[in-house]
Amino acid sequence: MAEAILSMLSVFTDPYLLLLIFVTTIGGVIIGALPGLGATTGAALLLPFTLTMEPVAAITVLTTIYVSATFAGAITAILINTPGTPAAAATCFDGFPLAQRGEAGRALGIAVVASTVGGIFSVIVLSIAAPLMATIAYEFRPMEYFALTLFGLSMLASISAGGAVRNLIGGMFGVWLATIGADQVTSVERFMFGNYNLYEGLNFIPVMIGLFAMSELLVQSNKLNTVVEAVSMKAVKLPSMADYRKIWKTVLRSCGIGTFIGVLPAEGATVASMIGYSEAQRWSKNPEEFGKGSIEGVAGAEAANNAATGGAMVPTLVLGIPGSATTAVILVGLSVHGLRPGPYLFTEQVDKVYAIFGAMLVANVMFFFLGLRAAKLFARVSLVPRAILWPVVFMLSLVGAYSLNQAMMDVALVLIFGFVGYFMRRFGFSVAPVAIGLILGKMVETNLQNSLKILDGQWWMIFAQPLALLFIVLAVLGLMRPVISAQLAKRKAQRPAPLSE
Amino acid sequence: MSSEASNAAPETGPQRVDWVEWLVPVVIFAFCAVVAYLTTTFEKAPDIIVGDAMQPRNFPLFLVALTAVLNCVLIAQMMRDGAKTRNYQPPQTLITAILMAMFWPGTVYVDMFLTFAVIMFLMCLVWGERRIWVAALVAVLTPLVVFFTFDLALEVRFPRGVLTNIYYG
Repeated sequence: MAEAILSMLSVFTDPYLLLLIFVTTIGGVIIGALPGLGATTGAALLLPFTLTMEPVAAITVLTTIYVSATFAGAITAILINTPGTPAAAATCFDGFPLAQRGEAGRALGIAVVASTVGGIFSVIVLSIAAPLMATIAYEFRPMEYFALTLFGLSMLASISAGGAVRNLIGGMFGVWLATIGADQVTSVERFMFGNYNLYEGLNFIPVMIGLFAMSELLVQSNKLNTVVEAVSMKAVKLPSMADYRKIWKTVLRSCGIGTFIGVLPAEGATVASMIGYSEAQRWSKNPEEFGKGSIEGVAGAEAANNAATGGAMVPTLVLGIPGSATTAVILVGLSVHGLRPGPYLFTEQVDKVYAIFGAMLVANVMFFFLGLRAAKLFARVSLVPRAILWPVVFMLSLVGAYSLNQAMMDVALVLIFGFVGYFMRRFGFSVAPVAIGLILGKMVETNLQNSLKILDGQWWMIFAQPLALLFIVLAVLGLMRPVISAQLAKRKAQRPAPLSE
Repeated sequence: MSSEASNAAPETGPQRVDWVEWLVPVVIFAFCAVVAYLTTTFEKAPDIIVGDAMQPRNFPLFLVALTAVLNCVLIAQMMRDGAKTRNYQPPQTLITAILMAMFWPGTVYVDMFLTFAVIMFLMCLVWGERRIWVAALVAVLTPLVVFFTFDLALEVRFPRGVLTNIYYG
């Protein structure tokens, strides 16, 4: 434990890492402030640039981007009513009305404080919960891992974009993509068409860049006529004591909600912020203010979305199951840098893991100061013309993908998955389930194969394993959640309204 | 930040009822059929290796079966919800897609960075940049900076072409 704490503290005394976190935080805030370029796209774009770095520095870059870009979405949500990231969509509801009535500085101050508290809270939970979860995960056998990955895939039914069925189809497509290449058990070639570049399967990074960055480029080309409505702001103001008294309960509640939602596989900051916002409204003494400029609304959404970042790292690091689309990219980064996610990460490379936690903590503190001092400047970044920004993103995506293996195959993958991702989005599918399915695909198949071997081919014996059964029940509940929620909403709507006096 | 408030223009062009939406389940079924056919072409692994586990073809087959079932649910949902309206795609999207597709042959047959410069220049103009010198600046400076950063700092060797041949000798 002492070694872990020392590793965590080492970040605070390492000038190289501190400088790296500072620069990356600025980069992350800029990425988050640019509509369309969220944490996931940013992490996917930067991943190839981290290849020459040490593992801790590389993962620090990715997690810092995750944390700071998630926060930065609030800047544009408040000032120009355009969420920089999907996770900041709920912040628009009250942030922009506050800005319109001349309280942009106050709204941003509350967003900065709530995000920082949410982020730090979740890193503390991550530092405590992850090792505890790892001790449980040591006991997992292939049956439990198989059931757990099923649970992860079932949660795709509940992620916000797309809709349950479309998300599940996207997830299945991702799992199928993972079957391309030589079968791990028998080495039989599958879907390779004689192309031996595919022998070890699809390279995750170009696929991610294509799905997120390239498809977004085509989506952005649909939005060229969008005119940004911006409001003026003098400076960011820290919340007053009265504001703190009003929001502290909301912030704490959203911290819990965000961290819990983040821990669930596949659920991310977007879902967390929506639930954080609606719970803030439900518990508020002034629910009628929501949507018209409630500071509780801003605090609820922002604390929850940043709390989800630490939460999402728990299943990512402990089980190798991404907690969100961005952590799916971080998971690829961990593998590329030789850090095998799973419980053994906490015994074999504990120093590196806690250094990553420390870096996340520092990043949260840094964006607090950056947010306070430079939000006004960062908001200007969001006004960079699309006509200049996106051609540059186009180039960086392709050069980044090429530089991985210096192979044109990776460039082709970026282009192909850019088109695939665009058409999916055009027809109402989200690309995040494909990315998560791709990552979980090999785990599902390998663990199913190993389970069958252990159980002498009697697959139904998987249900006889208590933990595996628990995960399967959770998976079924995860699949049923949209149906149950819809039924509950229908009943609520049908309930006769109380008679007024 | 100071800037004037202005009326937001519609995000995209006019809307229409979108019957193309019904192509989605057709494409998914076609995909399932193709994948299912391809799995029949896989080699059969020896029983001694497979043991109690599955043949390599079984897992993808199971996936496409599941996808086909989900697709049926999707069709049911679409029939229940009716046809949706969808925005027309502006011509810029199609031109951007064509420019993206041109990158591959441009790189293979001409030069990667020359292709980047041309595509970026055209993309800037297509996306609404009216100042030619700005588009030209973006198209020339960005590839130059990226090339030298990757070549000198990250030691990446780019594919040979008209320009890179001059540099690499």
